[in-house]
Amino acid sequence: MRWITLLWRIGTVALAIGLALLVAWLIPSSAEYPYRMSRPIEPEQYMTGGLEVYSPQNGLQISVEATDNVRVYLLGASSVELDNWKTLLREAYPDSESPDLEIFIEFYTVPLLFFHEAYPEQPLPDFLPLPASHGPQSQSMVWNVTVLDKGLQTHPEIILWDPPSGSVFSHELFPEDVLNIMAVVANPSSNTVEVDMEIKEVLAVAPKDRIIFPAQLLISIGIGLTIVWLFSRKFRKSIF
Amino acid sequence: MGKGRPFLEIFTYALDEDYRFPILEIFAFLFALGTFVFADFAGGYDRTGETMAYSLVSTLCGFPLMFIFVVLILKNVAYGLGSDLDRGVMQTLFSYPLKRRHILTARLLSSLGIAVLLFLGIQIFGLFLLAPDILATYSSTVFLTYAAHVCSPALLLAGLLLLLTLRLKRGGLALIIGVVLFFAGLIVSGLMTSIAYGTGSDLSLKIWAVINPNSALQAYYYHMGTSGFLFGGETWVPSFSEVLLYLGAGYLIVAVLFIVGYIYFDRRLEI
Repeated sequence: MRWITLLWRIGTVALAIGLALLVAWLIPSSAEYPYRMSRPIEPEQYMTGGLEVYSPQNGLQISVEATDNVRVYLLGASSVELDNWKTLLREAYPDSESPDLEIFIEFYTVPLLFFHEAYPEQPLPDFLPLPASHGPQSQSMVWNVTVLDKGLQTHPEIILWDPPSGSVFSHELFPEDVLNIMAVVANPSSNTVEVDMEIKEVLAVAPKDRIIFPAQLLISIGIGLTIVWLFSRKFRKSIF
Repeated sequence: MGKGRPFLEIFTYALDEDYRFPILEIFAFLFALGTFVFADFAGGYDRTGETMAYSLVSTLCGFPLMFIFVVLILKNVAYGLGSDLDRGVMQTLFSYPLKRRHILTARLLSSLGIAVLLFLGIQIFGLFLLAPDILATYSSTVFLTYAAHVCSPALLLAGLLLLLTLRLKRGGLALIIGVVLFFAGLIVSGLMTSIAYGTGSDLSLKIWAVINPNSALQAYYYHMGTSGFLFGGETWVPSFSEVLLYLGAGYLIVAVLFIVGYIYFDRRLEI
């Protein structure tokens, strides 16, 4: 009977933890600070959107609509990793003392890193390497899809979300660490594609998709063990 | 009959007394929900990974959750053991074919062991659900931070209260003293920092770090993440080996308190 009682108490503790997870799951999350971007992407070019810091309690909701098939990625890197890359870029382009370059290294670290790794001997263009369709076609080397593909092959660990190509996307992501996350939309086709992208910050007590299964499991275990205990009590009473 | 069975008998009795239904369940619920509610990742945004991991675990071991944990321990050690002494239950326990120290071990295993296991188990499980990457990448930092927070105030107060309860043979007063000591620790912590800044000497911080190793850990990690003006940053920045020494010293003090408690219980306690 003691073992049954012990199991019952383990069950009730599991039930209590499961209920706590359920309460955390039930606390509503809020989507705030929308960041909208609407722009055309030229053939075989890509663009990036909003590099922000996100955490396991501060995720993002992304929705993308395009006039044709595009590829969408969410890329994430830690601040330490990002700082290392910035240092690498500053060392790689020591002659470019333009303050604009410093700003671009700050905001477009990953695209510039991909470009540097794809064309290590190539100096940066003298003009600002603006994202696709914001400058003349000659700037496109930095924002070329092949550069992106090479970069992603070299750094597969930074890909947080990589859905199949399409024209409508919607996703919510809570990183498992504190990460700098940016969205990437690539146009692999030979036509210009109009893209509407919206990113919202989602604040939650806990990532709902990660806690609901443990909550269900613990509550089930708790109820199961309690039923066993109740039956064994009833069984004992009927004997004695 | 071997020694195992009476030991288990006393352990089971202590478990029944310390964690009557639904005490264990309420604390488990609070620890689990608190892990998600009080987790704060914002403190680590501009810091290195290790500092962020330290900052995150520290928020989980901060005032509300640590106080709940300390209350559970104090209730078990002071009130539980005190009631046994007060009501004469200890005399019955002494009739078991066990040495006194084994009886105390069984009692403390329930009062402290299960409470620590519950607190750490639920928090680490919660962290695993919340931020598995942080837990996996910086597991040594997470372990060290928990070790420092559990050492003081939790185990240090438990040791002090064990001695007090054995001496007073009453749990109620010891419990009140324990709660007062918990808050006194918070005040002294701030006071020591003020003294250090005021005098420009790091001696007060070092003395406090022996009693509360977390302050050494805090000074170490905060300096690692930022080079600016922060707690202890100007007057005292311990090296990692120093931090380990302070942690070892903290646990040594706890061990001494418990050893004294054991000796008193074994040889001097008169019932």
